[in-house]
Amino acid sequence: MQGGLLAVRKNRSLTVAAPIFLCLCGVVQAQKSTVPRLPDGHPDLQGIWEARNTADGNLEAHSAAAGIRAGTAVIVDPADGKIPYQPWAAAKQKENFAKRATLDPVNRCFLPGVPRIAYMHYPFQIFQTPQFIAITYEYVHASRTIFMNGKPHLDDIDFWMGDSRGHWEGDTLVVDVTDNNSETWLDSSGNFHSEAMHVVERYTRTSPDTLQYEATIEDPKVFTRPWKIAMPLYRHAEPDAQLYEYECHVYRETEPEQSK
Amino acid sequence: MKVLSLLSALCLLLPLPVGAQPRRRTQGKQEKAGPFTRLPDGKPNMQGYWETRNFFTAFDLETHEKAEFGVPAGKGVIVDPPDGKIPYQPWAAKQKADNIEHHMFNDPQAHCYLSGVPRQMYTPFGFQILQPPGSVVLLYEAFHSYRIIPLDGRPHIPEAIRLFEGDSRGRWEGDTLVVDVTNQNPSTWFDMAGNFHSDALHVVERFTPVDANTINYEATLDDPKVFTRPFKIAFALGRNPDPNYQQMEYACVEGEKDLQHYTETDGAKKK
Repeated sequence: MQGGLLAVRKNRSLTVAAPIFLCLCGVVQAQKSTVPRLPDGHPDLQGIWEARNTADGNLEAHSAAAGIRAGTAVIVDPADGKIPYQPWAAAKQKENFAKRATLDPVNRCFLPGVPRIAYMHYPFQIFQTPQFIAITYEYVHASRTIFMNGKPHLDDIDFWMGDSRGHWEGDTLVVDVTDNNSETWLDSSGNFHSEAMHVVERYTRTSPDTLQYEATIEDPKVFTRPWKIAMPLYRHAEPDAQLYEYECHVYRETEPEQSK
Repeated sequence: MKVLSLLSALCLLLPLPVGAQPRRRTQGKQEKAGPFTRLPDGKPNMQGYWETRNFFTAFDLETHEKAEFGVPAGKGVIVDPPDGKIPYQPWAAKQKADNIEHHMFNDPQAHCYLSGVPRQMYTPFGFQILQPPGSVVLLYEAFHSYRIIPLDGRPHIPEAIRLFEGDSRGRWEGDTLVVDVTNQNPSTWFDMAGNFHSDALHVVERFTPVDANTINYEATLDDPKVFTRPFKIAFALGRNPDPNYQQMEYACVEGEKDLQHYTETDGAKKK
């Protein structure tokens, strides 16, 4: 027995089947829009989420390297999957890659910044209230408050995790991130930005267990044009799932003692 | 009849009139705050930016009568036992004295480690309370730390898992949020005076909103390995009075440019 549609074709009742098929599509459409919702009508993005890809190793397609798994690109624009660096910046990235063991800010337990924190291999949890959305991350207990109250970005203050202002576009949470400092990287391979970086993130709950994450990254000092990454994040479905702590600096301090 | 019962149900959800609030604030000169509001589920709305009104607590839980270099004089927050002292076992009292004499570099905050509970509650720079469905979330500016307090009645995590901030479980007793905190690691201190605990520490916190701008905070601390009996601290949390205030980021070690010297010179070595 093949699929239902094929069976219908054999029976030559395609004229009858077509409306049914269209009708089923309608049902699928309707289901898509019935994402879990909060009392205020917005999609419920709450839960514990985690990326399952090699984006933190390298956003571009890459072979395996020390500490990095091989993997495909998460860059969806430009179409070649490459970060559109200005020439000087492409050279700088190569240098960063060679010296990543000492230069990667994450190897010094610094806050990873946005968007990198979203695809590090540690879970994070989203909490929603009408005025604020909080994202708490297990990695170095980083947290972000996304202001949903319409207040504008701050001026002239830099943050490791940027200044996040959110709004809803339909069922998508759109977060505008400015005021980033120039210290963070975009992955473990030395892909970087300046303090002029502007990130627009988009979070869309595509199913009970998946959250589509997209980020447009713009930095006129480093890139020739804006570019975009996209990936699904996956929900932790264990009934007792909760965030723990990865207090990075503790392990960094105790490491030399252990190796003695 | 139906309309009447609906009205009375609504009344239950509305904030109590000012006259029904028995306690009055005794601290500060701000104008009298109105009653606290309630969330749609009827629970007190404690959302917003808060800060302890007792800055001294960060230095010492006990009363410090005379100012010294780096430590101001100040009143302690221990309300039980009545003498205001931590009821240490004899060995532990010696350990606390030794901490001050020789081991102040072991203060976890000096290393930008998480502060633990209750210290996080009186560490300066304040925090934000969010009450999303099913939990209470505390976001602190200092060390960009946070606490997630589930309200769904789930049990504590297995004993083997030890956390700086411990494992918090919350429940409402009337208008008081009661938080049971276990699973703390023995690395955190209570203050900058070397007051300490073991991994057996069990903390029960009580957050009681008094008016729109005040939460009474109490914590009972029990640790049979270190204390002779449980003791209790209490102080008021005040809402940040600036309507334009928003919380910033205090990254601590992440912003420390002199990290190598900070952690690896002889003078800075852990003793």
